[in-house]
Amino acid sequence: MSELLVVEDLTVTFPTTRGLVDVVKDVSFTVGRDETVGIVGESGSGKSMTSLAIMGLLPRGAVTRGSIRLNGVELLGRTDRQMRAIRGEQASMIFQDPLSSLNPYYTVGLQIEEMYRAHRGGSRKAAGKVVAEALAQVGIPEPDRRAGYYPHQFSGGQRQRIMIAMALVCSPALLIADEPTTALDVTVQAQILRLLAGLQKETGTGMVFVTHDLAVISSIAARVLVMCQGEQVEYGTAEQVFSEPRHEYTRMLLESIPRIDDEVVS
Amino acid sequence: MARYLAGRIAGLVLILFMVCLFTYLIFFKLSPDPAVMICGKTCTPERILQIRTLLGLDQPFFTQFWDFLSGLFAGRDYGSGANLIHCPAPCLGYSFQTSQSVWEMILDRLPVSATVAVGAAVLWLVIGIGAGLLSAVREGTWWDRTTMGLALGGASIPNYVLALALQYVLVVKLQILPFPSAVAFSDGPLLWLQSYLMPWIVLATGYACLYARLTRANVIDTLAENFMRTARSKGLAPVLTMRRHALRPALTPITTIFGMDFAALLGGALITETVFGLNGVGKMAADSIAKNDQPVIMAVTLLAAFFVVVGNVVVDLVYTGLDPRVRIR
Amino acid sequence: MTTAAPSRDAKAGPGAGTPGVPATSGRRIAGALLHDWAAVLSTGFLALVVLMAVCAPLITALTGHGPNDFDAAAIDTNLGGLPRGSLGGVSAEHLFGVEPQNGRDVFARIMYGARVSFLIAISATVLTTLLGVVFGMLAGFYGGWADQVISRVMDFLMAFPSLIFMIAILSSLPSGNRAVLLVVVISVFGWPYLARVVRGQTLTLVNREFVEAARASGASTGALVFKEILPNLRSSLIVMTTLAVPGYIGTEAGLSFLGVGVTPPTPSWGQMIASSVSWYAVDPMYFAIPGLFLFLTVLSLTVLGDRIRAVTDAGEAS
Repeated sequence: MSELLVVEDLTVTFPTTRGLVDVVKDVSFTVGRDETVGIVGESGSGKSMTSLAIMGLLPRGAVTRGSIRLNGVELLGRTDRQMRAIRGEQASMIFQDPLSSLNPYYTVGLQIEEMYRAHRGGSRKAAGKVVAEALAQVGIPEPDRRAGYYPHQFSGGQRQRIMIAMALVCSPALLIADEPTTALDVTVQAQILRLLAGLQKETGTGMVFVTHDLAVISSIAARVLVMCQGEQVEYGTAEQVFSEPRHEYTRMLLESIPRIDDEVVS
Repeated sequence: MARYLAGRIAGLVLILFMVCLFTYLIFFKLSPDPAVMICGKTCTPERILQIRTLLGLDQPFFTQFWDFLSGLFAGRDYGSGANLIHCPAPCLGYSFQTSQSVWEMILDRLPVSATVAVGAAVLWLVIGIGAGLLSAVREGTWWDRTTMGLALGGASIPNYVLALALQYVLVVKLQILPFPSAVAFSDGPLLWLQSYLMPWIVLATGYACLYARLTRANVIDTLAENFMRTARSKGLAPVLTMRRHALRPALTPITTIFGMDFAALLGGALITETVFGLNGVGKMAADSIAKNDQPVIMAVTLLAAFFVVVGNVVVDLVYTGLDPRVRIR
Repeated sequence: MTTAAPSRDAKAGPGAGTPGVPATSGRRIAGALLHDWAAVLSTGFLALVVLMAVCAPLITALTGHGPNDFDAAAIDTNLGGLPRGSLGGVSAEHLFGVEPQNGRDVFARIMYGARVSFLIAISATVLTTLLGVVFGMLAGFYGGWADQVISRVMDFLMAFPSLIFMIAILSSLPSGNRAVLLVVVISVFGWPYLARVVRGQTLTLVNREFVEAARASGASTGALVFKEILPNLRSSLIVMTTLAVPGYIGTEAGLSFLGVGVTPPTPSWGQMIASSVSWYAVDPMYFAIPGLFLFLTVLSLTVLGDRIRAVTDAGEAS
């Protein structure tokens, strides 16, 4: 099976007042078709920068080295115009806070529709049908009517469902989910995780799942990459990493998860 | 919606009533006897008494105030018998100086003030928002720094200083423009344009600088929003991303400020109109104050307050149409 | 339980150890401003103007031309009283030239005018800040009917066409002490703009954890207001007051320009500009000098306020 995404020796450098800083250092991993790879790390570990680098959405001034290949095509060094054809069409992304990630001034229908039409063209009417289908797919009731609602009229979990519907509307090969459940309640978190896992199986999309939460990762990812201060400290199957962590940092992360069998210290 | 509007209008009427009462009270208490003033230098005590009775100045304060208020809505009569003068519905009284109906004076001069306000508003919106946008997009470049420096400078020039400086350069030295005078559009469009050009520039400068800074700050804040990152991650064309996703959120708050500024200007640009000798409401206010013409002072104060409070309500209504998050309960 | 309530929040950054002390200290602001040439230049110009205002009697004693001394030798009666010499009579004797017709020394009048401008603007700023903080905090802290009443009064004052009204009041009031009247009238119409901001910030502060913690631990109302809320308003108050001073200098000059400010012969910049209106075509210097001083003073204060805001904003974001 050929790999969907191959990241090799990815380094991201930022100019700061204290000189050049590597926020991502020599990170390598692969994502197979319909596989989920988790990237774990604390905030500032470089995991979000890695996902933004794949999308070509790094802030101005960032310099990237190494190689990112999607379906065998090199992404680094492409012009913004070339990257636009890939964003949303072949690789799309969902973010941590669905409320601020949706534009409050436009209906969710329009925000999904504009993405579909940017890549596939077609009439607004035809796009409207696709939008309703996409919303139905992620479990939004009355999708035709709800497409005309504004983001603030939905609950947090529904907003993330809408983000997922938007990300998948062009059936991309790769979905990057950057802390998609962090801002949500625990019960809603589980629903969203189930939805993502189900949709992934159904559509055969490869997924990069970024989180600081090892418990979440263990339930969704087959392979795990652990990052610390921009460096890749561990990479392997979820089982390997969790059962026999090789790195001190991973052990620390694992220990910080509260477990039911922990004795209550009074 | 109807309840909301009713509430807003009640509040509006209350504030206008307070402005009325306050203004009337201050001029009733502070001013010298208007009868003496109207009468002039050669005056007999009988004549003064006559005028007092005619204007109702011999009545207690609240009777006078009530007469004024009812005159606003129902009109009022001065004197009786053969000397009866009827002042129709929006009755603001008669000028002590010229005996003209104050309402007609306002109707006469409002178009001039509106012309000044509209022209200046167009100028400052185009220049201010345009410069602010360019600055935001080119944040940190020499263009941005120069524009923002100029904006700080422009906002610091008192408008009468700017007016005189412009007049000196454009009229006296370069002789590009004629000496400013009140010209109607029917006197010839070119002359009309020339005579309004300086007032527009003078009035627009301060606002343009303010709006440039405001626009820049709003656009920069919006560009940093998460939904802008989403829009880019969707592969939208940059023009669409900018126009649809950045501009509307960035410019919507500015409509509020614009509404208030514009409403305030309709009540007369006092200094600009005075300096350029334009016969607008602002100049009328200045003249009436200089001559202590109470009915006119009262009227211009009320008119300006009216524009401000009505502007406030209109802005709120417009805003609910522009920002879907704000809905009237 | 310990009394160390967390100050502000995680944003406060270094130096946030002591309760209630904002991250923006005067020293840090001053340090940051020293690296900004525009701020340094502005401060320099303002220092010069203030020095001129303070030392005005001393300097005029040295030059020998008081603000109200006529100098018939400096004007040309044949030319309708225009100053002799070019540039409005600028010479070693009269640094900024003389007024047409009476030959009063413009330099001396600028210095004395600066006294009037600064005195009125600073007094008005102090008074508006006082009123704004007291009423804004009352409204924000107590809420309920206190908030209702204060908010209505603010709406009412802000609906007033303040310029028209200020002129009307000032022109109908007996002359008395014009400077005091100006300060009072400017402040009465000025405080709501500050109070509105203070009210909003107090409202959010009252519900913040550290204020609730202090309240729960039995702090008195006075302690809450002075130890928890007021220190947190400090940075925005600094910014608002620095930006209020140039605003009021402009207002005072505007009112004097319209003839309702300080009464002659007391000099004021606005009044000087007003009297130069009929001369500007033949003696532009008479207009340019007070105009330039007014412009540069307002600009310097605005630049300074703007930079202080930038520094305090950056301090809060770090």
